[in-house]
Amino acid sequence: MWAWLASHPAALVVFMLMVAVSMPVLAHFRPLLCVYTACFAVGLALAGSLHLALLTLRGEVLSYAVEGWSPPWGIEVVVTPLSAFMLVVITAVSLCILVYSIASLEQEIPPGSIGWYYTSFLLLLAAMMGLAMANDLFNIYVFIEVSTIAACALVVAKNSKAAAEAALRYLLLAIVGSGFILFAICLLYLITGHLNITFTARALAGVYQQYPFLTWTALSFFLVGFSIKAALFPLHVWLPDAHSSAPAPSSAVLSALTIKIYAVVLIKLFFPLFGLQMLNETYLRHILLLMASLAIVAGSLFAFVQLDLKRRLAYSSVSGIGYIFLGIGLGSQLGLAAGILHIFNHAIMKACLFLSAGAIYRQTELRQVNRLQGIAFSMPVTMAAFSIAALSMVGIPLTSGFISKWYLSQGSIAAGQPIFIGLIVLSGILNASYFLPIIWQAFFVVDRQQPKTITLDAIPFSMLAGQVILAVAVLFFGFWPGFPLSLAQKAAAVILP
Amino acid sequence: MERLLHNYPYMVAVVLFVLGVYTILSQENLMKKIIGTNIMSSAIFLLFISAGNIAGGSPPIISKGYVPPEGVVLVNPLPAALILTGIVVSFSLTAFALSIVIKLHDYYGTIEADEILKLRSEL
Repeated sequence: MWAWLASHPAALVVFMLMVAVSMPVLAHFRPLLCVYTACFAVGLALAGSLHLALLTLRGEVLSYAVEGWSPPWGIEVVVTPLSAFMLVVITAVSLCILVYSIASLEQEIPPGSIGWYYTSFLLLLAAMMGLAMANDLFNIYVFIEVSTIAACALVVAKNSKAAAEAALRYLLLAIVGSGFILFAICLLYLITGHLNITFTARALAGVYQQYPFLTWTALSFFLVGFSIKAALFPLHVWLPDAHSSAPAPSSAVLSALTIKIYAVVLIKLFFPLFGLQMLNETYLRHILLLMASLAIVAGSLFAFVQLDLKRRLAYSSVSGIGYIFLGIGLGSQLGLAAGILHIFNHAIMKACLFLSAGAIYRQTELRQVNRLQGIAFSMPVTMAAFSIAALSMVGIPLTSGFISKWYLSQGSIAAGQPIFIGLIVLSGILNASYFLPIIWQAFFVVDRQQPKTITLDAIPFSMLAGQVILAVAVLFFGFWPGFPLSLAQKAAAVILP
Repeated sequence: MERLLHNYPYMVAVVLFVLGVYTILSQENLMKKIIGTNIMSSAIFLLFISAGNIAGGSPPIISKGYVPPEGVVLVNPLPAALILTGIVVSFSLTAFALSIVIKLHDYYGTIEADEILKLRSEL
């Protein structure tokens, strides 16, 4: 079984697709059956991904040619340490979100569409897993489109005015983004005659001198396309509406995973295809650094002025994606490893925060951040999880957020640009300025009229479980960052030797 | 210049792509925006297909043991296969976007983006 999976890693994607299409049938019999099946399937995929991750940590590169057609002609699936890292992040975080959604979803979307909701959810997971593993340019395009449709469906499932409008804006901008990506893929195919990334890279190195302008066009079109998809700062306009109007599990999965998978695909394309030298020659690395720095500062400033809790979290995702692109733009092995590590850390923190925001809304129907006084007395578990994740966003030591900021700082020193440490500290202060007031109000501002009795949260157990697992993970990987860190370092070492 | 004229499908594709993106970004009518996405994706399909074509080439339909006679060139079948997938993707994106537009029309009674924004700010 395990050996078979190692030689057929694409089976994970096919498995998720098969479970996805079975969801409406299961919902026909009993809606809860869907979510239990989905949890079980994602749990199995998590076990498989962990197995692949351990294999890649040992230095094995697993590749599989679909239908036995060898690489230059057929479709190739390759599991590098980066792919295995992303597979583990996707399955682990979405498992927690699925557990949370057992009880939360029936309140948020029309009961008839629960089966279809899980279909979209699992399609999104399958597409993201495919993006992590695909080594073929056109395959990447197809998976990008599948994930776009599934992600929009997760937003529009809420069936509210705001969600429909946000989903349409997301969809239109995402179509523009994937148009740019397909255009760039087409240009690369014109120049090199290959679609397999390995072979395209080899051919491109030979013909780059002949077609410099077409190569640069392809490079910049990739940058624009993936910046729209990953919501990098000036092109983030669709994100706050889409992420704040979606149901809580959708917000969590979109903010924690979907925007990051595009950063991973960017890493997969930029470094093997174009190489660090071309990124430096075209000043693209500097543009990435500039956009990332703007994203970190502007995302935090926009988050600071938002009064709606979910919008504040959504803008904080804009700054989170900035950290990842900062790691990519530093262009050193250590910086890239820190950026990849932040994908994992930001995923668990942000998923936890969005799930807590959903739980707060479920119990109190409050969305305004300035009305949460004393809420920790009525929902102590939720607010504890929220506080742990928020402190980790600020970068308090012994949380996982501190680990990624620490390695990002080391990476910027190693890249000879210590100015970015100042940026990271500034962003930590900004994060503190919009997260700490919420925590302070929740725990220490008490209404004189109301008695100060502590009661446990009046929300279903599964909703608490999803948040608590993620919050414990934030603490655990703050103390022992060994496993994700070694995988991220291995991934960076493969990409930037 | 002669090379440009000879490869005129590429120029048409680039012009169409720019037109499509401009339509999406500038038009307020949601239907026109969706038409813009279709113009944009058609432009890329045109680029891809014309890249695979050879003037005077014959269709790449061969059977086992077939050797093309002297002077006959077969066009590249790969772009056609890829673009078939691309057309399906573009079709489903259009269908999905249209279904959301219908929903918005039910909610607001209009499909002009600026009017929807005005109606929302009045709430």
